[in-house]
Amino acid sequence: MHDGSGLIAVQNLTKQFGPVTAVHNLSFTVSPGSVTGFLGPNGAGKTTTLRMLLGLVKPTSGTATINGRPFQQLGQPGRVVGAVLEAQGFHPARSARNHLRVYAAAVGVPDAQADQVLGLVGLGSAADRKVGGFSLGMKQRLALATALLGDPQVLVLDEPANGLDPEGIAWLRTFLQSYARMGRTVLISSHLLAEVEQTVDQVVIISRGQTMFYGPLDQLRQSQQKRVLVQPSDINALATALRAEGVQAIEQLPDGRLAVSGVDSRHVADTALKAGVSIYGIQEEQVDLERLFFQLTSGQYAGYAPAPYQQQQQGGWA
Amino acid sequence: MGNLVQAELRKTTTTGLWWGLLIPTAVLALGWGLATGLLGQFFVDFASSNDVDEVSDFLGVSPDQWKVSLFGMARAINISTIFPMIFGALAISGEINRRTITTTFLTAPSRMQSMLAKMLVYVMWGAIYGLAIMLFLGIGVVITSEPGQLPDAGGWMMLTLVCVLSSILMTMFGVGVGALIPNVAGTIVLLLLYFLVIENVLHLVLAYLEVPSVIGFLPNGSINGLTGSVSVDLFLSTAGVVPKEIEDVLRAIAGAGGALDWWWSGLVFLAWSGIVFAGGWASTQSKDIT
Ligand SMILES: Nc1ncnc2c1ncn2[C@@H]1O[C@H](COP(=O)(O)OP(=O)(O)OP(=O)(O)O)[C@@H](O)[C@H]1O
Ligand SMILES: [Mg+2]
Repeated sequence: MHDGSGLIAVQNLTKQFGPVTAVHNLSFTVSPGSVTGFLGPNGAGKTTTLRMLLGLVKPTSGTATINGRPFQQLGQPGRVVGAVLEAQGFHPARSARNHLRVYAAAVGVPDAQADQVLGLVGLGSAADRKVGGFSLGMKQRLALATALLGDPQVLVLDEPANGLDPEGIAWLRTFLQSYARMGRTVLISSHLLAEVEQTVDQVVIISRGQTMFYGPLDQLRQSQQKRVLVQPSDINALATALRAEGVQAIEQLPDGRLAVSGVDSRHVADTALKAGVSIYGIQEEQVDLERLFFQLTSGQYAGYAPAPYQQQQQGGWA
Repeated sequence: MGNLVQAELRKTTTTGLWWGLLIPTAVLALGWGLATGLLGQFFVDFASSNDVDEVSDFLGVSPDQWKVSLFGMARAINISTIFPMIFGALAISGEINRRTITTTFLTAPSRMQSMLAKMLVYVMWGAIYGLAIMLFLGIGVVITSEPGQLPDAGGWMMLTLVCVLSSILMTMFGVGVGALIPNVAGTIVLLLLYFLVIENVLHLVLAYLEVPSVIGFLPNGSINGLTGSVSVDLFLSTAGVVPKEIEDVLRAIAGAGGALDWWWSGLVFLAWSGIVFAGGWASTQSKDIT
């Protein structure tokens, strides 16, 4: 049986759909006790990777394990791992409660658990309504409730915030963080870093089926150097003074400001004072994770800007 | 495994499909039952009135004692069991269609076990459909038939047995085809076309080629043989010595032309169900659920 470690391990995972390489030699591990974000632009291979991890898609090569075992060998998988996958199906004619009772039976938990998880995700009052009439956000909540039925050690969620209202997103954030803090494993995918930035501690960033970055989010933040943007009375004087102090990374911005890297704003201000240069404005640039994310992933299906509308000079058709 | 069986059972009872298909099944069985009695009546009147005396001499009983209802009942069972077959066909193809198969596989120890659990539950539903068919068919026949044309207690027992068996087997066959062709519309159209048209044409061709015995080994031929052979046997048991040619005609009337003995027919059809299910299992086992 599985080792109960709560560890997710993906090793050299590759999936080929005919001519399309959806996932290419992907490796990462996810440890219990933290929320890990699995990020990448559309078509990067996130869903395919998660489905391979869950035994739904057969890898072309490589392995994906939970608790040291492939999904098929987990014994009673519903008790070990709960999953929310995009486009997850519900029978439209079944009520939310009946849907959960079906899977409660499969997982082997008492029926009371169905009502418990319904309450947990805030669907208690819609329990007897048919799922066919549910909104996207309600379905997303019901999918999460289904994943939680077996009180699993590992949670795998594919774009769980899709369709959730701000309140729902905030709730999900706290819920996942406290779930991880209990020593469980949470892996959550998204194509928006900003969406999960406040939720996750670790990130795995993929693009075109390959790992681009894998580690703590803080490490990603630090990998980007901070810059000081300053508007001095005399650009050349300040630049010379800074160079004299050994600061080399100085750049003039198109708007007439200087961008100084490798030092903080105090240092720049002190140098300016000594050089007799006045400062009209100074600011430390915030690390823009989203831009970093763009650089790392360089959208594989990036769109083009619309072509400018050209008015036809002469009427009539050629 | 018990957990999975319960889950599959709940899947079938929490939507309306089971009664949505059971109602037309019951109506069809009742209709056939009523028509069977009326047709039998007409036939017997016709036979008693004139020159078919030779036939009654052959059979050794007077026409009003012919248990003609047996033939209509065999046909009624064959037609009515198309509904449980479709019910079975939706078991797996419906889940793939609605994408509920994802959660089903995520909560089962293996795909094999969830398919077996499904099969067990649908065997039970097949039996329920079979009993319902027999009940409504029986009501219809009894209303419109003369007592002399009805089977005796043993005959009723035997017919009920083969009706339930036939319904279970048809349901199992449907489950297998639904797994093999994971497309709801495709599965249903194929099954209906095959059972109502294609194989009947094949039967004509085989009869024309003078190899009617092959019919008994085909899916529809064997499942018809299960009920048809029983009804012919029951009919003949009350008749005298019957020449081979007449017996063949009777078998054809019962829809069991070229068929084997009833239990052989059942085994042949069970083998067909097994083959289809094995194919469906193999394709489901390795399928990427995306
Ligand atoms: N069943 C399939 N058959 C063929 N190609 C597929 C299949 N499933 C996925 N792909 C391809 O694999 C690649 C990765 O798809 P995947 O769904 O894993 O991306 P994703 O990261 O989840 O994207 P998104 O953010 O849009 O959900 C895409 O190029 C997609 O077209
Ligand atoms: Mg996806």
